[in-house]
Amino acid sequence: MTAVPQPPLIQLNGVTKTLKGQGEPRPILSGVDLTVRAGESVAILGRSGSGKSTMLSLIGLFDRPDGGQYLLHGADITRIPERRAARLRSQEFGFVFQRFFLLKHLTAMQNVAMALVNGQGWLARRKRRAKVMAALEQVGIAHLAKHRPARLSGGEQQRVAIARALVRQPRVLLADEPTGALDTETGALVIDVLHAATERGCGLILVTHDHAHANRMGRVLRLRDGLLVPDRTGVLA
Amino acid sequence: MGLSGRFRSAVVIGGQGIRARKLRTFLSMISLFLGVLAVVAVQASSVLANRALLADIEMSEGKDGTVVVGVPPGPKGTSSALEVVRGRTDAVASFSTQAIIGEPGLTPVNPGGMPLRYADQAGPQTRMICDGRSCYTEVSDEKPPPRGNTVEVLVVGITGDIRQFRPFQLEAGSWLDFGGEPSLSPRIVLNREATEAFTRYQLPAEMSIGSAYQGNGPGAPGAPHATPRVIGTVHDGGFQPVVYVRADELLNWIPAEALESQSASLTMAPAAASILPTLRAKLGPEAAGQLYTTTVNSRERIGGQLDMMRWIFYGMAALVLLIGVAGILNVGLATVGERVEEFALRRAVGTPRLLLAGIVLAETLIIGLLTAAAAIAAGVVGLKLAGELFGANRPTLQNVDFPWEAGVAGVVAGLVAGVLGGLFPAIRAARIPIATVMRA
Repeated sequence: MTAVPQPPLIQLNGVTKTLKGQGEPRPILSGVDLTVRAGESVAILGRSGSGKSTMLSLIGLFDRPDGGQYLLHGADITRIPERRAARLRSQEFGFVFQRFFLLKHLTAMQNVAMALVNGQGWLARRKRRAKVMAALEQVGIAHLAKHRPARLSGGEQQRVAIARALVRQPRVLLADEPTGALDTETGALVIDVLHAATERGCGLILVTHDHAHANRMGRVLRLRDGLLVPDRTGVLA
Repeated sequence: MGLSGRFRSAVVIGGQGIRARKLRTFLSMISLFLGVLAVVAVQASSVLANRALLADIEMSEGKDGTVVVGVPPGPKGTSSALEVVRGRTDAVASFSTQAIIGEPGLTPVNPGGMPLRYADQAGPQTRMICDGRSCYTEVSDEKPPPRGNTVEVLVVGITGDIRQFRPFQLEAGSWLDFGGEPSLSPRIVLNREATEAFTRYQLPAEMSIGSAYQGNGPGAPGAPHATPRVIGTVHDGGFQPVVYVRADELLNWIPAEALESQSASLTMAPAAASILPTLRAKLGPEAAGQLYTTTVNSRERIGGQLDMMRWIFYGMAALVLLIGVAGILNVGLATVGERVEEFALRRAVGTPRLLLAGIVLAETLIIGLLTAAAAIAAGVVGLKLAGELFGANRPTLQNVDFPWEAGVAGVVAGLVAGVLGGLFPAIRAARIPIATVMRA
């Protein structure tokens, strides 16, 4: 008996997106193809304005593509309604941004708990606390749980943000230049933490300008002229 | 999960938002506080005024539903009224006459039994003439006796405890006891005005009972003199000096034929209306046709009287509340503007738009409820203080409980202000594009 192959975590087929601002509409993605499997890590390089963050926002269901097809676990979610998209953002994705987006009036623990108190299910305080502490432990800052962001270094703040992304045990981590505001050494530590998540079966899509960080991922792609092309491996995604 | 999880999430996050902006929350509460307090004050005043007015009317006219039958003077009028209620506890017959209490031979300070405040404004001396069919007054050309420590009162004879229909407030002593044999020394209960007369003029307990049937007034030669015993004082809602006495004790001093010139009234529960056919039969067809029956319906009547005033004050309170709402709205919009990234981030981690709106609404509702609680507490304290400071001069403020209706009005005003002030910011929060966090 042969095992039934699992569908890819994420599959983009010819996805297009045009940005409509005040001036002329600007095509930003012109037919992107991408496949990411469980536990796989993908780095995406590209110049500023090339559409890396736009692509990440489509994958993370912040926005919808104009054309093409988006499959998650083999299911077409290209035109998914916002209510379902919110549930998927909560259950399937974890987000890490260049700016950490920690709420300064909340402690590290409360910032992480934010991903659990989002109207998508309700956990009793004790269970919530256990999950939050486990996530903080995972990124190595459980001892800073009661600190507010102002008392944390940049690296520590980013690790709190990663703990927030991991606390719901997502299938895919989407990281948009997570080391952009950090020094090299701290940035490397953050990439270590993200990489560790992939070892537990979590897919990772990392948008970065840093070749050193990109080279630590399983595949490196470059977004050029609205298309994804291989950067190092020479194999199209 | 469903509503409970979303509701809890909204309250938890809303509470965090309020704690993070204590000063701003406090400032928006101040403007709203005045509005909610105005609503609480109007509602409390309206309820208290209504209660006070109703209490006075109930004392003078009767509780709602009480049936009052007027029996005109006539050969068998009052005596029939007294007969049909004999042995009944659900109906009371009453009749009245004038009396002068005080030193004999003096003109009362309030001729005609007028309220004491008009005691010095009495007109020329008059006397009442009754010819058996009707009574009238005429100016007397006789030189009246000098005025002195003498007061004219209305004496009301009653056959039973009328307080079941007209809830007099016993202020001192005891109420009339209708059991046992009547006494030749009438036991009397004074109303407030009569009590004031007794205190002010130090009246001796000698009562010259009205002898209108004799063609002259009380105090005139020939009028019977009784020595009453004051057993208590009540507040009956009236302004004239009135004395209540058992009908049978009063009848000891009024000959039966004198009753022919007296009108009487029956005050009864609706269930006792079955005595009316008996009364009509006793009176005969002609007199029975002159009976007039009314059912007390004070609550509805005074409700209508107070409505206009209440709505005017509600309008004013609503304007003040609107200013508070504008304050919350202003603060809410500014806060949403400051929290764009937070709301975008919350959407990024899976918070639905509806819940984001709920978070903002929860914050304004919590502010509204806290403000309502503060305004209600201020109302309770204010009413207590008013009672202690002004209660001596204004009896309606004495021992008054804070009306629950005012508390409900305060909570409703707080909630309405919270919804009105939070709705627009909530909609704005729900519309924040999620990609804001990506472009930041």
